[in-house]
Amino acid sequence: MSTHNHSDTCDHSHPQGGHAPGDPVGHLRHVVDHAAHFLPTQGPIGVFVHHNTLHSLQNKPFEEAVLEGAKLFGAEPYMAEEAYQSEHARGRILNEDIDDTLRREPDAEIIVGRLTRRQLRRVLLIPGVRRVNGINVSWQIEEGDWLTSFRHDLPAAAARALANDTPQALWDVCKKRAKLQPAPPPAKPVRPRDAVLARHGIDMDAIIHPPLIRLTGAYLDQGIAYWPMPLREEGLLKAARKIMPQPLALFPAHLTSVAEAFVQQEAKQMSAEAVVMDALEKLAVPQDQWDDYIVQELLALRGWAGMVRMLENDVTLAPHDRVKCSIMDFLALRLTYTVAALQDIVGDTTSWHSFQLPPPRFDPLAHIGRIFDVAQLLGLSSDTLRSLSDEEWDRLDEEIIACNETERRRLLHIAYERRHERRILIPLARHRSLPSIQPESDRLAAQVMFCIDEREESIRRALEEVDPSIETVGAAGFFGVAIDYAGIDDADGASLCPVVVKPAHTVREVPVKEHSYVHKQRQNLRRAWAKIVRNGFISSRTLVRGWISTACLGFLSLFPLVLRVLSPLAYGRFIKRLNRAFLPEPITEFTYMRDDEASRDATTGLMRGFTTQEQADRVAGILGPAGMHKAHARLVVILGHGSTSLNNPYESAYCCGACGGRTGAPNARLFALIANRPAVREALRAKGIIVPEDTWFLGGYHDTCSDDIQFFDVDLMPESHHGDLARVRQSLDKARALGAHERSRRFAAADLESTPEIALRHVQERAEHISEPRPEYGHCTNAVAYVGRREFTRGLFMDRRAFLISYDATKDPTNEALGRVLGAVIPVCGGINLEYYFSTVDIETYGSGTKLPHNVSGLVGVMNGYQGDLRTGLPVQTVEIHEPVRILFVIESTPERLMSVVKANPELTEFVCNKWIRVATMDPDDGHIEIYRDGVFEKLEGDEEPLPVVPSSMAWYQGKMEHLGLARIDPKVAKAA
Amino acid sequence: MSPQNILLILVSTPLVVFLAMSVLWLLGGHMPEQAISRITKAVYAILTIGAFILGYKMWQSGVTTLRVSLGDWFTVAHYGFPLSLLVDRLSFPIVAVTIILAGVVGSFSVRYLHRDPGFYRFFLLLHLFTFGALLVFTADSLDLLIGGWEIVGITSVLLIGFFQYRMDPARNALRVFATYRVADLFMLVAVFLAHHWFGTASWEGMFSGEWPGHVHNLQGSAASISIIAVLLVFAASGKSSQGPFCGWLPRAMEGPTPSSAVFYGAISVHAGAYLLLRIEPLFRVSWVATALVIFVGLTTALLGTLVHRTCADAKTSLAYASQTQLGLIFAEIGFGWTTFAIIHIVSHAILRTLQFLRTPSMLRDHHRVHAAAGGKIDPTGEHLEALFPRGIQIWLYRFALGRGFYDSILNRFIIAPLLWGARMLAIFEPGWEAVGPDAEQHASKSETAAS
Repeated sequence: MSTHNHSDTCDHSHPQGGHAPGDPVGHLRHVVDHAAHFLPTQGPIGVFVHHNTLHSLQNKPFEEAVLEGAKLFGAEPYMAEEAYQSEHARGRILNEDIDDTLRREPDAEIIVGRLTRRQLRRVLLIPGVRRVNGINVSWQIEEGDWLTSFRHDLPAAAARALANDTPQALWDVCKKRAKLQPAPPPAKPVRPRDAVLARHGIDMDAIIHPPLIRLTGAYLDQGIAYWPMPLREEGLLKAARKIMPQPLALFPAHLTSVAEAFVQQEAKQMSAEAVVMDALEKLAVPQDQWDDYIVQELLALRGWAGMVRMLENDVTLAPHDRVKCSIMDFLALRLTYTVAALQDIVGDTTSWHSFQLPPPRFDPLAHIGRIFDVAQLLGLSSDTLRSLSDEEWDRLDEEIIACNETERRRLLHIAYERRHERRILIPLARHRSLPSIQPESDRLAAQVMFCIDEREESIRRALEEVDPSIETVGAAGFFGVAIDYAGIDDADGASLCPVVVKPAHTVREVPVKEHSYVHKQRQNLRRAWAKIVRNGFISSRTLVRGWISTACLGFLSLFPLVLRVLSPLAYGRFIKRLNRAFLPEPITEFTYMRDDEASRDATTGLMRGFTTQEQADRVAGILGPAGMHKAHARLVVILGHGSTSLNNPYESAYCCGACGGRTGAPNARLFALIANRPAVREALRAKGIIVPEDTWFLGGYHDTCSDDIQFFDVDLMPESHHGDLARVRQSLDKARALGAHERSRRFAAADLESTPEIALRHVQERAEHISEPRPEYGHCTNAVAYVGRREFTRGLFMDRRAFLISYDATKDPTNEALGRVLGAVIPVCGGINLEYYFSTVDIETYGSGTKLPHNVSGLVGVMNGYQGDLRTGLPVQTVEIHEPVRILFVIESTPERLMSVVKANPELTEFVCNKWIRVATMDPDDGHIEIYRDGVFEKLEGDEEPLPVVPSSMAWYQGKMEHLGLARIDPKVAKAA
Repeated sequence: MSPQNILLILVSTPLVVFLAMSVLWLLGGHMPEQAISRITKAVYAILTIGAFILGYKMWQSGVTTLRVSLGDWFTVAHYGFPLSLLVDRLSFPIVAVTIILAGVVGSFSVRYLHRDPGFYRFFLLLHLFTFGALLVFTADSLDLLIGGWEIVGITSVLLIGFFQYRMDPARNALRVFATYRVADLFMLVAVFLAHHWFGTASWEGMFSGEWPGHVHNLQGSAASISIIAVLLVFAASGKSSQGPFCGWLPRAMEGPTPSSAVFYGAISVHAGAYLLLRIEPLFRVSWVATALVIFVGLTTALLGTLVHRTCADAKTSLAYASQTQLGLIFAEIGFGWTTFAIIHIVSHAILRTLQFLRTPSMLRDHHRVHAAAGGKIDPTGEHLEALFPRGIQIWLYRFALGRGFYDSILNRFIIAPLLWGARMLAIFEPGWEAVGPDAEQHASKSETAAS
């Protein structure tokens, strides 16, 4: 059915293409552009956007891309082999998963009638080969027990076959017959740094990085340094070369000639391109190697280079000071330092090409050791081995080499994902086949719309458990209203929508007319507060003012210090109370109406507000796909979400991904305001969405860290609905405590046996704790996305690991809604999931390592210590309990319908066909599940995974910390029992 | 309980905990995080209560100087190593602030380091550090003070290199270690000379009267007193990142945030100032030493504030801000404003601890202030800087960005010749040179692997 070619939408494997050889500068620009693709695409950390870490390789199939990424970045493609083996040992990977994985790979006969590739690989994966390298093999032979006994974990059949053999005999045969593997040829140095390190033992990166980091850091600084870098308006390269070569300025060792180089460049007024060309010529890098060379030079300090590149592409990412950035400038600076250091150390700048790199560590014993190991696992005795024909022996050799460590990890990973898939899909299908756990009454008491975020799964389930006549709905957390928004306390507007969308409409929060004086008061107080805080900040650090303030006022900081650390929750509440007491809060409203077509702001291109038609379109865009066409409850609550935590540079990573790393509260509030307008309701009716007259929409906000919930514009609500709100509020209060309780099971600091109320206090304390590196676990453990009707996941415990997107296929005959939903959620959820995947499999290269030594630099990122590279990706404290599996999308649709939508969208095609996500469909009519594999859909078969039925979520998770499987929550079970 | 016993308990509790924990560790034992956390909290609770009772008792009985003598550790001819502790109006506030800040940081770290593989090691070192710091501030002689001084130094170095699997922390820890060693040499020589010339290095033997306003009672030439004072000024400079040793403080930022706070914001860096306050009568009689303290303090303060202005990352910026105030504290001591200096020390220590612990908040704080100020923050760096002509401004910026060229001078004119000399000497040791560069190469390789 759906076999097709991989799309070529962003193929950048041919950098040379399209440029005449006579235009080297054009070629250079092209090469640098291409090289910059591989840099991390993480902007200033204040707005943390999750994205596929290997976005630059997304045009290739996942399994190829991870290997290429591993080579390019020096990273790990999968978890370690031992990790998978221990997952097998604890039953997370089953033997049948491995068998199935191998069955899908091409087979071949190795020893006729005796051994096939599958059999070989089977033992190579589990029990697995012992780790061998040349050094430990000789040790094992001479000192260890390799030659005295066979492995102790041999399969019974193998042990029997070897019963009359000796290890010594087996080893001798292996040693005699194994083909001598040729040593790998020594690599040619790509960068002078590698060559110089090999020849002189001097690491040039350690010499040139400190000044580069200091210059770039000062240049990009958004307000930490008291004295901003002068001449920034001239660009990084020019500023650096005017500042650095001052009279009497002392350069670090090996870099003394940088001053002269800068002076010359300045005298000749060389552009960045000219400097790079000049350096490439001096370094004698031939044109056909520019690409490799520049990629490697840029990747050597990838965090900073990536930041420069991000700010070059979009200067508005800079939170405060917009500085002109150019990756060419950065490269020119880097190469100037490189040439100077190379000249000083080696004496010339071209001979480095001929330096020998140290040969890769190689020992022929390693291969023999592996054959020895394999022979034992397969029960190939020395006699059998001796009797093999040369041809068979060659094949054995080749097959063992082909199934190297990376290949084994790939296979194990697929098996690992397969078990996850079956533990989700089989119980899900069972749950669907059982009677739906539906609300009892005719009309729902309320509908509560949450973000699709997997962290909302628990509170949604809890809410429906607490009050079965409430239904929850999931929609991407910007609720279809992409806006540029500024609240009364914000200085500038910010985009509240997925990062791929550029908002075209502005919405502002303003005080209601009667309250404008309160607003004035508030602003004045805030200005005064800002002045005091700012002065306190500066004066504690400078010389003269600092003398007075540190000596006299330092004592005052004892109270916040001690209280914040010893009693964070009480202190946080105290501060909030102070704020409430002294900072008046005006009643506010939104300016979101637009009557005039021409009200487009000339400078920003943004339009003020939405017309009624636009508003109706937005509302229909959410209610339609979710299947909310009529029979709405009397109260529909829209809950946006965000997360607040202290002392946490990654705060934004916990916020709403669909709102570009910000909070979705304004979107929820706006959506409710719009949906309540009679004119909008009128327009909706024309679109076939009939909202009853007595239905009221109410906006709200859920903090996923402290589990606080608040509502907006309650004063606008008609009195008739206050009773409904009271009921929903009560249920939500219970549900958030239950939600807090459920997620507390993952925290070691929380008591596993506590009550929901204590758990709620615990999570609130986490949000106020300045020493808490894990205020919440964010998207950690995410693994599934379900796109379909809620009734089929209602009452299903999904362990906060599933994004839940409401979509009703029965009301979407044209698949138009499906296209819109998937177009938004696959890139967002896929991006989140892949960022977690890569940060988990290689925490130091793809992730940002441990958070503990992180140091905020320039307000744009974090680095280790006082001069290091900017760290990108997620810290270990965020991913430590993550299971790195590609997200499994379960979409309620048919394969044909799904693929028609996927193929119409190149980005989705890339995600699905290159297997960056896993996809399965659930038939809207009969619920059967089909799984996408290499272009075709396969029906889900087998029923080995059970679906436990329990009376409540708590009964299922209480006392357990590990990942839990699906379970059906059926309160009737308790009644029956 | 007598105040003497309380003092003994104060100093010995962290030592006992450290010893117990290290023995357990060496025996291959393990303690769950919960237990370490409870022990740590209990220790600091005991210390805090003890310090309060001690202060109260001393105040009540009007005792301003409390000595506990446990006799001599050993005696050789005329020399005895006195084991004697002292609390007076100088050391009490510093002891109290040490206990409180170490306690706060300990409590902070329980959460902060949760699940870190080095959890045990961190608390082991924190208790050892607390013991070392208390020993420095209560030692009744230079001989005993050195013990605490070295403990504080070595724990500081081990915590800078806390993340052992990366190369940079190890490299920077080594640099700080070397700096400490050089500075400590001055202290050792001072102690030897004190014993040699005056036969004593105990506070009781050297000074009479009560702090403040105590006087020295050394019988000897002004020059010898002056030499000892100058040596001790250098020793103090090493600990407090002043004068010739002013470059190591930013390097110390490699460790986890709470250790940066307790060492480089709060306690360890102020130990140098404490030493100066203690030996103040010595340099009061020596204009050379007085001038040196003032000169070192003021130049470091000037350099520190200049460099601080250009630092674009949270921790380095704070490190230089600390260094600036420490310079001023040195100058205050030089000018004889000792009471003010001690107030400054305590106040500064508290403030910096809070600021260091909150460095990860830099982003949020700045954004909040920016929003509250209505999107316009008054530009900084336009007052003093504008007094100079453009050319000098840029020169000053360059000077500050190069951190006063301190590292360049040290690397090129001190370390490089030293290494060259060592290499020359290596000709007497065949085979050594062959190992040298190769080992370095391995080191750099593992660094690439780690990064």
